[in-house]
Amino acid sequence: MELEQLLDFKWSIMTPEFIILGVATLLSILDLFMPKSMDRKILGWIGVAGIAAATVSLAGFIDEPVTSILFDTFRLDSFAKAFKFILLIGSLFVLLLAISFEKKDGLAEFAGEFYYLFLTALLGAMFMASSGDLITLFIGLELLTISSWVLVGVTKRNKKSNESAMKYVINGGISTAITLFGLSYIYGLTGTTNIKDMSGTLMTMGGSQNQLYLLAIAFFMTLVGLSFKLATAPFHMWAPDVYEGAPTPVTAFLSIVSKTAGFVIIVRIFVSIFGSVPATGAQDALPMLLHLQDYIGFLAGATMIIGNVIALRQRNIKRMFAYSSIAHAGYILVAFTSMSYFTFDAIWFYLLAYLFMNVGAFAIIQLVGAKAGSDDISAYAGLYRRAPILAVTFAVLILSLAGIPGTAGFIGKLNIFMGAFATEPAHYVLASILIATSVVSYFYYFGIMTQMFFRPAADDSKFNIPVALLVVLIGSVVGTIALGILPNIAFDFLHDNFMQFKDFLQ
Amino acid sequence: MENAWIIPLFPLLSFLFLLLFGKRFKESSAYVGMLLTFASLVYSLLVLFERFSSPTYKQEGVWLTIGDVQLTAGFEVNQLNALMLVIVSLVSFLVHTYSKGYMHGEERFPVFYAYLGLFTFAMLGLVLSPNLLQTYFFWELVGVGSFLLIGFYFYKDEAKAAAKKAFIMTRIGDVGLLIGMILLFWQVGSFEYDAIFAAVAAGEVAQGMITLTAILIFIGAVGKSGQFPLHTWLPDAMEGPTPVSALIHAATMVAAGVYLVAALFPLFTASDVALTTIAVIGAITAIFAASIGLVQTDIKRVLAYSTVSQLGYMMLALGSAGYVAGVFHLMTHAFFKALLFLAAGSVIHAVHTQNIEEMGGLWKKLRVTGPLFLIGTLAISGVPLFSGFFSKDEILIAAWEGGHPILFLLAVIAAFFTAFYMFRLFFMVFTGKSRSEMKNVHESPSLMTLPMIVLAVLAVVSGYVNTPWFGTFLGDWLVEGNEALGHGHVEGPAWIMIVATVVSLAGIYLSWLIYGKKSLSRNWLGAQTLYKVLYNKYYIDEFYSMTIVKVTKGFSHFLRYIDTYLVEGIVLGVTAFVQTLGRLGAKLQTGQVQTYSAVAFIGLAILMVIFALTGGYL
Repeated sequence: MELEQLLDFKWSIMTPEFIILGVATLLSILDLFMPKSMDRKILGWIGVAGIAAATVSLAGFIDEPVTSILFDTFRLDSFAKAFKFILLIGSLFVLLLAISFEKKDGLAEFAGEFYYLFLTALLGAMFMASSGDLITLFIGLELLTISSWVLVGVTKRNKKSNESAMKYVINGGISTAITLFGLSYIYGLTGTTNIKDMSGTLMTMGGSQNQLYLLAIAFFMTLVGLSFKLATAPFHMWAPDVYEGAPTPVTAFLSIVSKTAGFVIIVRIFVSIFGSVPATGAQDALPMLLHLQDYIGFLAGATMIIGNVIALRQRNIKRMFAYSSIAHAGYILVAFTSMSYFTFDAIWFYLLAYLFMNVGAFAIIQLVGAKAGSDDISAYAGLYRRAPILAVTFAVLILSLAGIPGTAGFIGKLNIFMGAFATEPAHYVLASILIATSVVSYFYYFGIMTQMFFRPAADDSKFNIPVALLVVLIGSVVGTIALGILPNIAFDFLHDNFMQFKDFLQ
Repeated sequence: MENAWIIPLFPLLSFLFLLLFGKRFKESSAYVGMLLTFASLVYSLLVLFERFSSPTYKQEGVWLTIGDVQLTAGFEVNQLNALMLVIVSLVSFLVHTYSKGYMHGEERFPVFYAYLGLFTFAMLGLVLSPNLLQTYFFWELVGVGSFLLIGFYFYKDEAKAAAKKAFIMTRIGDVGLLIGMILLFWQVGSFEYDAIFAAVAAGEVAQGMITLTAILIFIGAVGKSGQFPLHTWLPDAMEGPTPVSALIHAATMVAAGVYLVAALFPLFTASDVALTTIAVIGAITAIFAASIGLVQTDIKRVLAYSTVSQLGYMMLALGSAGYVAGVFHLMTHAFFKALLFLAAGSVIHAVHTQNIEEMGGLWKKLRVTGPLFLIGTLAISGVPLFSGFFSKDEILIAAWEGGHPILFLLAVIAAFFTAFYMFRLFFMVFTGKSRSEMKNVHESPSLMTLPMIVLAVLAVVSGYVNTPWFGTFLGDWLVEGNEALGHGHVEGPAWIMIVATVVSLAGIYLSWLIYGKKSLSRNWLGAQTLYKVLYNKYYIDEFYSMTIVKVTKGFSHFLRYIDTYLVEGIVLGVTAFVQTLGRLGAKLQTGQVQTYSAVAFIGLAILMVIFALTGGYL
């Protein structure tokens, strides 16, 4: 490649990524030269500033038409922009959690890494959102995954953390292997790694039965491989163990940013590749994605049931939230299965709502966990008496997670629910499972409420809420309620700026 | 009326204010709540009077746009809404006042008032909603308020369990409501009541779909209004403070189900199957709950079952196309049942027990509560000239004219039961020997008696707004300008009124013979002069106690058995199933990575095998 050609690319569209990369590099250098005894918290704040700057620069590109550079491997379309906002805001909140996380179990030694590894993971996720090529997509995925592995095990002297990291590495390895296997089939059939070219080739291929059969196998392999990232059943089993053992900010990262990235990649690959290939040789046949949607629906149903039902048995709140997070992935899969007019909106909105309600919940889990020294649900007994505002905050977030009207969670579920009915034929079974399992979820969500409001407190000690956590709490509650009462804020933003994602395949 | 949206905001303000500053105000919090609900009441009355002379007012704005679907939010003041506004704000205000005395000395006094504010806000918001989605919003919020108030005495395990049960049982009904609502949305393209009615009237919705959605929505009402078989939460909910029972579980929230059916009445009338379902469920509930009420010994539980039974009456009325009858009974019931609960609270306040076996002879000690309780009892028993008489009569006429002779018969029997157990309650509590251990019984403070007096007046006079004798103002007004709601008043045969009167008096008489007769037998002279008559009466008494009472008692125990073991059993069974599933799933979570990978691979294999077996494309 000529240097001139290289300089010809419109590198500016990568500004948000460059900022994150730059800040991550800066942090690692600063960490190297800072005296050992110095508090590393300042690095965290620099990271926060970096993410904020990246968000602002991304906002500057909102009106930018679809642009791609590096031979269409990196593209900035509305899909990428919309989801990058979620990734950035999510990481911003998570980093704030990390700043106020108590540095124990050997974490103090690696406090610097603790901050900039979040940034590299975020960078990977952002690349996934923007990738127009399987190679960039895969590299983004690996950057995210490997950073997360280290983060899970970053509290070195905590056995549970070590165990979690090990489990995560093994399961992650399996997931990557299966994904790559699936992707290699698609490459083999189309002879290209570029997603747009792939969809073009497949659309005109017409395909023999055998080719389509192979493509279907690729469909399953890729779906299963990526399902690990979403933690959907039955590929979810790593999640509870890893969530429990990881430091709380990392758990929040996995359940918010990492999951969002998983959905981004799955939508990107499946809609553009399998959404364009006819399921049979016939010209007017359904796209393969719709033809095989029952399988995704099956996974969605299983995920909602397993996530919500097993959550009933959990006493450890982090494990409970792991299962709840599995269940929420199931809800989003319902939207993905139905592939209705609403699907993109519904997924985007749900992830945004989920970001707010979940990050706030994890902030409280971190706070209470550090105070009580345990993540057992009994640590929440009498929280209302000890810290009424904290308890009410948690209650709002839990109500939202349960999908009670007036909160963002309700609007999110309503969207998905309406989407499931908006297709022909309607997905009645999935919609009923969604409702029934939501009812089941009330039991464990209200279990926490009962602890907080109806149980006597063990002691009367008050909480000191660090500034960073306070920001997260206020942000999450305001977000949850605002999106619940005035969801049009988000939908208008989406519709005004992203043209219903029409440029997805351009 | 343009500003009717302010009405729910007063209690909301009270809620927020007390939540933030309640601790500082201590028991003066009550005045904040009282003042603000009084403002709601005044405003509601103004709206009601304005509604008499002007047409329905509705204002809406776009709330949410998804694709090309627009969802609106706003408020509507039609006849039903205006009436409900007054009922809710009035009862709420009276309960606020009453609680100042009843909850005196309670440590979490401000919290109680804050919750009351939240609940009142939600309930007022509910009745102002012009569309199903908004209704659903407030419907759930009402549930949350009720959850908090039932569990107010959270240190009692029963209260905690009851709160949770109430929330979850009603949620089961809500699932029906939600599904029905969304289905209707896809048929009609709108959540608006008006749009739904227009589409139904224009025949745009298939008949089967109307029936299905109507029944699904009715399931929501079944949960909220404690209809069979989702009624079991309501008696348990009596663990909450008594003023709460009066507000939520007598006058407002439980009536929300009836209100919902009434608000969507044109939808229901479009389907005969749905109407018949409502009528049958209503009648079954009425008689089922009334018979259980016969053997209860807890004063509040008797009232709870009587509430369930009366709500069944309202449903029966609506199901028999008696829109006016249902709404009319909803109104009168709100007054006399709230009165009964508050009076029961006053009794409990005085004697510190809820067991009626331990009470007696309180008439002389509770000089105010006693007569007030009697008025409530007369009203609910359907004694002529009291409000319950007129509204129950309307329902019986509606059931008869609606062509349901069997349901009519059930309703008559239930009326007999009602009169019987209500007077049993009255005689056991207020007549007979006073217990020695109840020496220090005092009448409640005037803060508590005044609200009861207001309700007692209403329990007497509220019936006269719709009578066959003096005119059917309420009925005519309610259906004005809306033919889908039927006629204001259906002329029924005169014998129905006579039957209703006879039945109610017979119930009272029988109850007197059994529970009041002790005082008679002590009066030797009276017994001698009336010996023969008394003998015969005694004979009847024996006869009754041997046959009807025994049989009904047995039947009642049998139903109670079904209630405890079958209905709750099914609930428990479902719970146990879910729990077992959870346990199995958790067991699989061994902590071994090998297991996890194996499960994942099996999952992948299953997907592939299914794909291969179903043939894929081959």
